[in-house]
Amino acid sequence: MKRPLGTIAGARSGDKGGDANLGVWVRSDAAFAWLTGFLTVEKLKELLPEAQDVSRYELPNLKALNFVLHGLLGDGVASSTRFDPQAKALGEWLRARVVEIPEELL
Amino acid sequence: MIRIGNASGFYGDRLSAMREQLEGGELDVLTGDYLAELTMLILGRDRMKDSSLGYAKTFLRQMEDCLALALDRGVKIVVNAGGLNPEGLARKLDAKVGYVTGDDLKARFPDALTANAYLGAWEIAECLNQGAQVVVTGRVTDASLVVGPAAAHFGWARDDWDRLAGATVAGHVLECGTQATGGNYSFFTEIDVTRPGFPIAEIDEDGSSLITKHDGTGGAVTVDTVTAQLLYEIGAPEYLGPDVTTHFDTIRLEEHERGVRISGVRGSPPPDTLKVCLNTLGGFRNSTTFVLTGLDVEAKAELVRRQLHDAIGDDGLTWTLARTDQADAATEEQASALLHVMIKTADPKRAKGFSRAAIELALASYPGFHVTAPPGDGTPFGVYRAAYVHRDEVSAEAVML
Repeated sequence: MKRPLGTIAGARSGDKGGDANLGVWVRSDAAFAWLTGFLTVEKLKELLPEAQDVSRYELPNLKALNFVLHGLLGDGVASSTRFDPQAKALGEWLRARVVEIPEELL
Repeated sequence: MIRIGNASGFYGDRLSAMREQLEGGELDVLTGDYLAELTMLILGRDRMKDSSLGYAKTFLRQMEDCLALALDRGVKIVVNAGGLNPEGLARKLDAKVGYVTGDDLKARFPDALTANAYLGAWEIAECLNQGAQVVVTGRVTDASLVVGPAAAHFGWARDDWDRLAGATVAGHVLECGTQATGGNYSFFTEIDVTRPGFPIAEIDEDGSSLITKHDGTGGAVTVDTVTAQLLYEIGAPEYLGPDVTTHFDTIRLEEHERGVRISGVRGSPPPDTLKVCLNTLGGFRNSTTFVLTGLDVEAKAELVRRQLHDAIGDDGLTWTLARTDQADAATEEQASALLHVMIKTADPKRAKGFSRAAIELALASYPGFHVTAPPGDGTPFGVYRAAYVHRDEVSAEAVML
């Protein structure tokens, strides 16, 4: 079913120098199994076209994926010309993207 | 077990949090984080104006209000509010105070406005072992504020990697204050976050902990709110710190009647290098936002761009057109797009001239010209970068006053 990703996933994002990090987590093992297959680096870049160079890390113990978006914030918060220079709302942007979610997870 | 609370997640956090934590229930240690990467730049500029400054002034106000209360209750205070001048701050406090120094590496990085190594927990532990009631540090890792008191309390060894890692996780959960208790939380509609309470970690001898908060405070401590904070500002699962490498993929979280239990955390030796936070002055910046309403939004934007480029040149200008406008809108605001422009330049006069150039367009530009707020004189901006030095090159020191 087409639904915003945030229907089943939480997220928190922030800055580390010129990089942004974006953690995404879900609340059941079934949802995590789906998320790991669905939210690849390529998929993230498709959903957030401003992302260029992305690393992905898995934290199955937290049912979470952590993405580092390298260089998104230029020379860091004090210098960045980007809207939301600390990437505080990057996660909420991702949660608002409409994706195909298996019906049994909703 | 040692009860460690947090009363600040940044320089500017809720001023009354210190009193709320002291009066709300039992605590052994109260910590506060005041230093973001950006804060070091702000304090660096304070120190340029007055060399006796360079610390977080709000902490001093909190101590004027609460130091006697803390001493009376036997609660020790451990904060990084010393910023670039821990000794200066320590000397203003009327208690048995220890401070941590040695993080300042400006001599090694002379071109930087601020250069500070991220120190660890052991100098904090040393101050506490010597009987400090208040410990003031400069740049230490945020989690060290929690690891130091736990290590001192239990007498941990420097190679107790799993214990140190467990306390580091508790520290990471606490370091952003109410972000652990439902602040900035994706599922905020499920709990009451009108006024979230500040978090507390009850740490056991083995480094495991219970994350909780005082009874009667707002927000919530659940596996979800703690997970959210664990994911904040991290990279690879091997979380590098000055005292231990913490393996975030080993953390176990369980709901508990008073909050969330954290256990199972594994640690391994830290890297040989310490991270250094460098801020240099990058130049001057200024910005404004033009409101473009109704028809021909793209053409209106193009006209302003051309006009501003003619007036001050296009070097260092960044434009963003946010198409927040809707066609045939029922409110003026919904009919409007926002055109943001920012200038970054080495020349303070040009940053100031930007304002004049933008305002001089007021009667000479697109129909419906207005701006959301008049631009100011421009402000200096910093460039942040991380560097790494061998730990032998840094001599951290615990000093008792």
